[in-house]
Amino acid sequence: MLKISQLRANVAGRSILKGVDLEVRAGEVHAIMGPNGSGKSTLAQVLAGREDYEVTGGSVTFDGADLLAMPAEERARAGLFLGFQYPVEIPGVNNAYLLKAALNAKRKRAGLAEVDAYEFLSLIKAKMKFMGMDESFLGRGVNEGFSGGEKKRNEILQMLVLEPRLALLDETDSGLDIDALKVVAKGVNSLRSAERSIVLVTHYQRLLDYVEPDHVHVFADGRILKSGDKTLALALEARGYDWLREGRVA
Amino acid sequence: MNTARDKDAALRSFEAAWRARPADRIAATRTDAMQRFLALGLPGARDESWRYTNLRALAGRPFVDAEPAPSARASWLAGFCGSAVEIVNGRPSPAAIESVGDPALSIESLRAAIDRDPASLAARLESIGAAESERWALLNRALFVDGLRVRIAGRATAPLLIVHSAESARDDAAVHSRVIVEVDAGAEATIIEHHLGGSGHATLVNHATQLHLAPGASVDHYRVFSSDDRTTHFDALEVVQAADSRCRQFTVAIGGALVRANLSGRLDAPGAEHDSHALLVGRAARQVDCVNAIVHAASRTTSRQTARALAAGSSRVVFNSRVLVEAGTAGASSNQSCRGLLLSPTAEIDTRPQLEILADDVKCAHGATTGRLDPNMLFYLLSRGIDRAAAQTLLIYAFLDDLLTGMSLPGARRAIEDALIGELPGADLLRSTR
Repeated sequence: MLKISQLRANVAGRSILKGVDLEVRAGEVHAIMGPNGSGKSTLAQVLAGREDYEVTGGSVTFDGADLLAMPAEERARAGLFLGFQYPVEIPGVNNAYLLKAALNAKRKRAGLAEVDAYEFLSLIKAKMKFMGMDESFLGRGVNEGFSGGEKKRNEILQMLVLEPRLALLDETDSGLDIDALKVVAKGVNSLRSAERSIVLVTHYQRLLDYVEPDHVHVFADGRILKSGDKTLALALEARGYDWLREGRVA
Repeated sequence: MNTARDKDAALRSFEAAWRARPADRIAATRTDAMQRFLALGLPGARDESWRYTNLRALAGRPFVDAEPAPSARASWLAGFCGSAVEIVNGRPSPAAIESVGDPALSIESLRAAIDRDPASLAARLESIGAAESERWALLNRALFVDGLRVRIAGRATAPLLIVHSAESARDDAAVHSRVIVEVDAGAEATIIEHHLGGSGHATLVNHATQLHLAPGASVDHYRVFSSDDRTTHFDALEVVQAADSRCRQFTVAIGGALVRANLSGRLDAPGAEHDSHALLVGRAARQVDCVNAIVHAASRTTSRQTARALAAGSSRVVFNSRVLVEAGTAGASSNQSCRGLLLSPTAEIDTRPQLEILADDVKCAHGATTGRLDPNMLFYLLSRGIDRAAAQTLLIYAFLDDLLTGMSLPGARRAIEDALIGELPGADLLRSTR
């Protein structure tokens, strides 16, 4: 589904991604772990199409198409979803508008008619209930005045409404208490299927207790340093990142 | 060609128009105004309040009075108003005045009011146009052909709509009109002035409105400019407030070639409260120049001003607001907030909030910011699959949202939103997601 080869990218003139190779097949859940500043979030943003991040080399295909040639909005409509580490507040654009406009953009690409108002509302309400969110939030500005946990739930809600082929969740677990973490994990797990893939970018093993990954990658200094199964995450939790960096791989 | 003569063509044409007017019962005050206007001349680059608006091209145009014309246009603000009076080229429709049925309102043409009571009307007319920045109001006093006098004696049942249309079959027609609104103690009303028109010809509309609020009176006033792109507006609005009166004022500029909108507010007695909100939209080559001056002349007076300026194309939007708290007052409170959004590299927004505080016990705050669309917000919307044009429109709309939601009349708000959306890119999506 997603194939990244030797991806390099600069942010503000600095080289951040230094040759990333990664393949994600349909139905798989991958976790990308790594220390602060290693480039994990940059990878997620580059994949989602952030324009001010400059790709300097390599390639990315998504379902066989050249992902890097597509503008951000087209990537989203093709089924790529980025759950933001820091979801931006947009006062004056309400959540219901955003969800509806996003859903309709995706439907339009698939040749479907705009969603019926009643159908939309029942869909949203069901998903919100599932995520333990209050309905009043629909009329509020996007992420406006939301707590950190509410913002992350909102990201997952958008993901559930848009049903992406590939979800990239950038530190969706950070700043969550244990109850919120469980709700977020429930949302992510509900999306797991043989046709969909999920990439979790995370600092900690904690989320992986609730969303079990098929593959774990350790990211450091702009590339993947080591890949393994879920036991790699446990090893990292026990021993930190330094033992990998220093080359004393067990 | 004699360029020295050409550059004064407008001034000379105004003088000629004045000489051609038959004398009326306020000839003395008109003469005084004309002489002062001629002595001052048109404002130039050295006049502080005209720094951003150059009138050189206008000064070379010989203007003629717009002829009487039949009613021509429907206002898109009419839907939710009670009575409507149309003023075409400065002349109100007698039938429309007759048809106003609200017992709280008494309306007559300004000419009729002057014929009846010239002395008190002359005094009223003179209260605006004292400052140099108000010299178009001086010219207005000399040349207005007619207008309305509205008295509000109780609680009006529905908003009163005044439609100002400018209609001319030639270039350089000038319309001078005036509206006087007197609100009795404890009376309440909503008044909407809608400036429409232009028939594709370069037209000058020089209008003045005076709102005088007695103790405890409450008025919501809207002035909306949506003329075509060949119409120049000079608009002076005076608001004088007595004790415990309340005025909520909304100025909306979404049309015209040049809109110079002055607001001069005077809080004359304790407890007076004034809110003014300006929604200023520049596109193509439009220039919008909004100049507010609020005077706190008494203790315990409150003013709040908000402005949202949007500039696209090669437009320029100016918001200049000055608050003066007079000496000897206590407990005045004033807040000014101005935000600008630039939508093109060739557009310009100039904001100048100014405070002059001559008293000790005051609470004043002001802030002004101007920027472009936030790239993080834009990326967030794009990453959800929303079109770039639509995402930009959503963000523009979001920028205006707090001002729009603050409008006191939901009907006016919706109509203004619709008109505004027509001015923005990606309008269709916005309509469907709203």
